[in-house]
Amino acid sequence: MHEESDAGALVPAVLQHDEAASRELVRRLHPLVAKLVRSHRPRRAAEEDLCQMIFIKIFQKLPQFSGKVPLEHWVSRVAINTCLNQIQSEKVRPELRYADLSEEEAAVVQNLAATPDELAPGLSLASRDLVEHLLAALKPRERLVIDLFYLQELSMAEIQERTGWNVPLVKVRAFRARQKMREQLARITARGTR
Amino acid sequence: MKNRSASIDRLLRSAAAAPAEPIPAMPFGFDTRVLAQWRATWPNDPATVIRLLRRVMFLALALIVLASAGAYRELHQGDEPFGNEYAIADSAIGGVMDQ
Repeated sequence: MHEESDAGALVPAVLQHDEAASRELVRRLHPLVAKLVRSHRPRRAAEEDLCQMIFIKIFQKLPQFSGKVPLEHWVSRVAINTCLNQIQSEKVRPELRYADLSEEEAAVVQNLAATPDELAPGLSLASRDLVEHLLAALKPRERLVIDLFYLQELSMAEIQERTGWNVPLVKVRAFRARQKMREQLARITARGTR
Repeated sequence: MKNRSASIDRLLRSAAAAPAEPIPAMPFGFDTRVLAQWRATWPNDPATVIRLLRRVMFLALALIVLASAGAYRELHQGDEPFGNEYAIADSAIGGVMDQ
């Protein structure tokens, strides 16, 4: 974390095309970019290819970095926008069917329908998989807001910082996305409990 | 309706509690690939052109110095002017051939 926060100090040298500084910048920012790609990657893109694409964009746009915000925030925004554009290029958003669920995911659906209690901690991974399936049917921006707000549990201010959207827009997108997921889950639950 | 809404919230809470997947280490040669691709996008970068011109200039300067040193040595070598019989013979033969 300390290393990441120092990454901004390398920018002037990188802008002078200093090779060692450029390599060091890639090394320090890779964990952050890889984490963002893991959270927001499109289904058909390879993680490494997407990371590479993001880094090239970062280097190309680096002269535009004003230094008013931490470098990591600026990099996050570039990475997220690149992922969103990639997801947008994947036009097909298939609807999830009960038959597509794994055994564990089906158990989560059954559990949600059977009891109003919180899900057991042992089901959290299956829940995450089920949520990812539900997210795949949403628009890229809706997917992003659900991930940032509900899964990463970021505050509105943090989401605003990372996406550049204002707070009312974040709230509206989160509400709509959650509603779509809720309807989809209800359809799956209805089929699964018939 | 309320129950359905609660279901999605419980599902999201449970998903948020899932342990984060480990972040993969940077693949070998990744930085080299990124920098190579970045460099490929610099066609009109003035800094690159200046660096190239500077290298060419140093190389040319080094050649001039070497050539000058060689010529100076040639001029001041031995008693005979141009001191190289081969050069004189070559020049003479060249003159005959031209005629």
